[in-house]
Amino acid sequence: MTMAATATRSAISPRAAVLAYLAVSGIVLLLMMLLGLTMRLAQAQWINVQPDFFYVVMTMHGAGMVGIAGLSGAAVMWHFVRRHVPVSTAIFLTNLVFFLIGAVLILGAGFIGGFGAGWTFLFPLPAHSGSLWSPNAAASYLVGLMVIGVGFLLLHLDIARGILSVYGGLGAALGVKQAFGLAPEKDGPPPAVTASTMVLIVNILGILFGAAVLVVSLVNLYVPSFTFSALVAKNMIYFFGHVFINATIYMAVIAVYEILPVYTHRKWKTNWAFYLAWVLSTVFVLTVYTHHLLMDFAMPTWALVAGQLISWLSGLPVLLVTAFGTLTIVYRSGLKWNPAAALVFLGVAGWSIGVIPAIADGTIAVNSVMHNTQWVPGHFHTYLLLGMIAMVIGFMTYLTNPQPRYGFAWLGFWLYLGGGIIFVLAFLLAGSESVPRRYAVHVAKWLPYDRMGSVGAALAITGVLILVARFFAGMRAAAYAEDPT
Amino acid sequence: MNTRFMSSRLVAATGLWAILWFAPLRLALERDMAVHMIVQLPLLACVGYLLAVALRRHEPHWIAQGDWLGIPGLLLVIFATSFWMLPRMLDAALADPLIDLVKFLSLPLLVGLPLGLSWRRMPLLGRAFVWANFIPKLGAIGGLYLAAPTRLCAYYRLDQQAVAGWALIAVAVALGATWFVVVFVGWPAADGEAAQTCRAPQEAA
Ligand code: HEM
Repeated sequence: MTMAATATRSAISPRAAVLAYLAVSGIVLLLMMLLGLTMRLAQAQWINVQPDFFYVVMTMHGAGMVGIAGLSGAAVMWHFVRRHVPVSTAIFLTNLVFFLIGAVLILGAGFIGGFGAGWTFLFPLPAHSGSLWSPNAAASYLVGLMVIGVGFLLLHLDIARGILSVYGGLGAALGVKQAFGLAPEKDGPPPAVTASTMVLIVNILGILFGAAVLVVSLVNLYVPSFTFSALVAKNMIYFFGHVFINATIYMAVIAVYEILPVYTHRKWKTNWAFYLAWVLSTVFVLTVYTHHLLMDFAMPTWALVAGQLISWLSGLPVLLVTAFGTLTIVYRSGLKWNPAAALVFLGVAGWSIGVIPAIADGTIAVNSVMHNTQWVPGHFHTYLLLGMIAMVIGFMTYLTNPQPRYGFAWLGFWLYLGGGIIFVLAFLLAGSESVPRRYAVHVAKWLPYDRMGSVGAALAITGVLILVARFFAGMRAAAYAEDPT
Repeated sequence: MNTRFMSSRLVAATGLWAILWFAPLRLALERDMAVHMIVQLPLLACVGYLLAVALRRHEPHWIAQGDWLGIPGLLLVIFATSFWMLPRMLDAALADPLIDLVKFLSLPLLVGLPLGLSWRRMPLLGRAFVWANFIPKLGAIGGLYLAAPTRLCAYYRLDQQAVAGWALIAVAVALGATWFVVVFVGWPAADGEAAQTCRAPQEAA
């Protein structure tokens, strides 16, 4: 079977396809941010939102943001990995179509069907709505996730096929030999290939488990007498969910490896430590999800202890080599800062800082106090909003960056950064006061945090709006341009 | 492929088919739910696969042409296997030898044979996609057998059903692990594919 026989030619150029991904991502990101602001305003009691609708909004925000993180991360990964391996634009676009179909099903489940069980659809909650939503609404949500999963599965398998055709095995593409000193570092795969290999290993496994638990949940919706072990289901859901959202950061980080060298005119160094970090993180990401179950007394103790230890270690290897690499590539490079470089740099900083409260929360003694407080949205919004999304917006700016008129973009950058910091601090401060997460109605004592968070969110959204608008303004020209080198 | 090769495959296929139909063995394999599902049904599909290997060269042109990327053939395989996955059909096969005969004909001819012909036509991505769907669904079905509140087959006991559930999960895990090891370590390029693709890295669009 030859490539020529299997490849379907796409009328859309690979570059235009990446821009289409980013355009969809930009719009959905802004819409989901507005849903987030709605929640904050409601908690701050500045607007009135019925609690049942709050949970619809929360579910849609969670699912939408995780989905868009996956989609935009995939755009970064695909754009850079195709410089090294053959991939299919048709499959890449198929994933976008599946994503949009799934998104319609999910939005319908929420805004028409009233589905509000949280993006994590924890079994058996979708089937126990207290008549707030119908089984059909829950099914629409679950099928929507499945459709999106099918698209991502195809995309990952296609990239895997491309990687295997060049490197022969995923181990070689990950740089396992270089990691253990069995092959010269200079023969190691480029960073984009190593990162993509890690992402597709963990994501394909995650999607397989996700698909299995979705099937079981669907059967339970319509035949409730089929009761599955809730603990096993929770393990599977968190395995899938944690891996998927984690992988978005590992996809987006490719933007750092590829964009900073362009502006600093230095090469991103890949040594044995770099490869070892990626090998270790591959294993850790697959096993770390158990920190979501630290409060589940029915879990075996060894699993919880392992969950705690791996939580401390999980993100660290790749984070350390990336943060260290970022500092060394920038230090004394004579880099003239522009918004694209600043955004990817911010991404590494946001990721590094956000991981600190996350690691604290992965400690059983801390988790027994902080579990389900706003500390949790505090840390994950730090590395998602100010980390992962910063890298993606950096990539958007990089692709549409040729003209040196940056004034407007800098305004967007500072509003986004300043507002973002206020917004995440409000969550972290409230969390340290034990304000619970996922509460639609807050007591008077908590309102100052909610109001602070609302103001921060509004500023951050304005900043992102400017940056996204700038992307749209430059998109047409970018479709025919080359990447800045 | 020479005629000796072809006839040895044909003999193997018909021989296996006849042995499986041989009453004591047939009844022994059907006595237990797990063995029925995980041993007898796949072996019957194997019969068809062997037939495909033997007859591939004589496949009518219009089938090879119409079977676009192997998708129609694979769809036939999926529908036919889904049919025999229904607990009610396993029951019927046990109750009525005529239905058992239908099973003995349809699994080789509608599953193994099209699989053997279409699989090679399917692009690598398609094959991987089929595996990636087959493995978790097998595990999920195993989970459902364990979760079922009642007996799904009138002819099998609840404990046999549980064993079948665990066995399906075990097969899914074993297949998944093998698949993972193979792609991690790598395998020699089939049909010169790696050589082809290495030459034109950006061409797949
Ligand atoms: C300005 C932008 C944003 C605002 C205003 C915002 C606001 C919120 C609020 C108020 C919550 C609920 C907090 C609670 O439990 O009390 C929340 C939850 C969440 N947010 Fe955001 N968010 C923003 C950006 C993001 C981004 C960029 C992502 C991911 C890429 C994200 C992912 C999530 C997730 C996964 C949840 C958890 C939902 C759940 O508990 O089921 N958010 N957000």
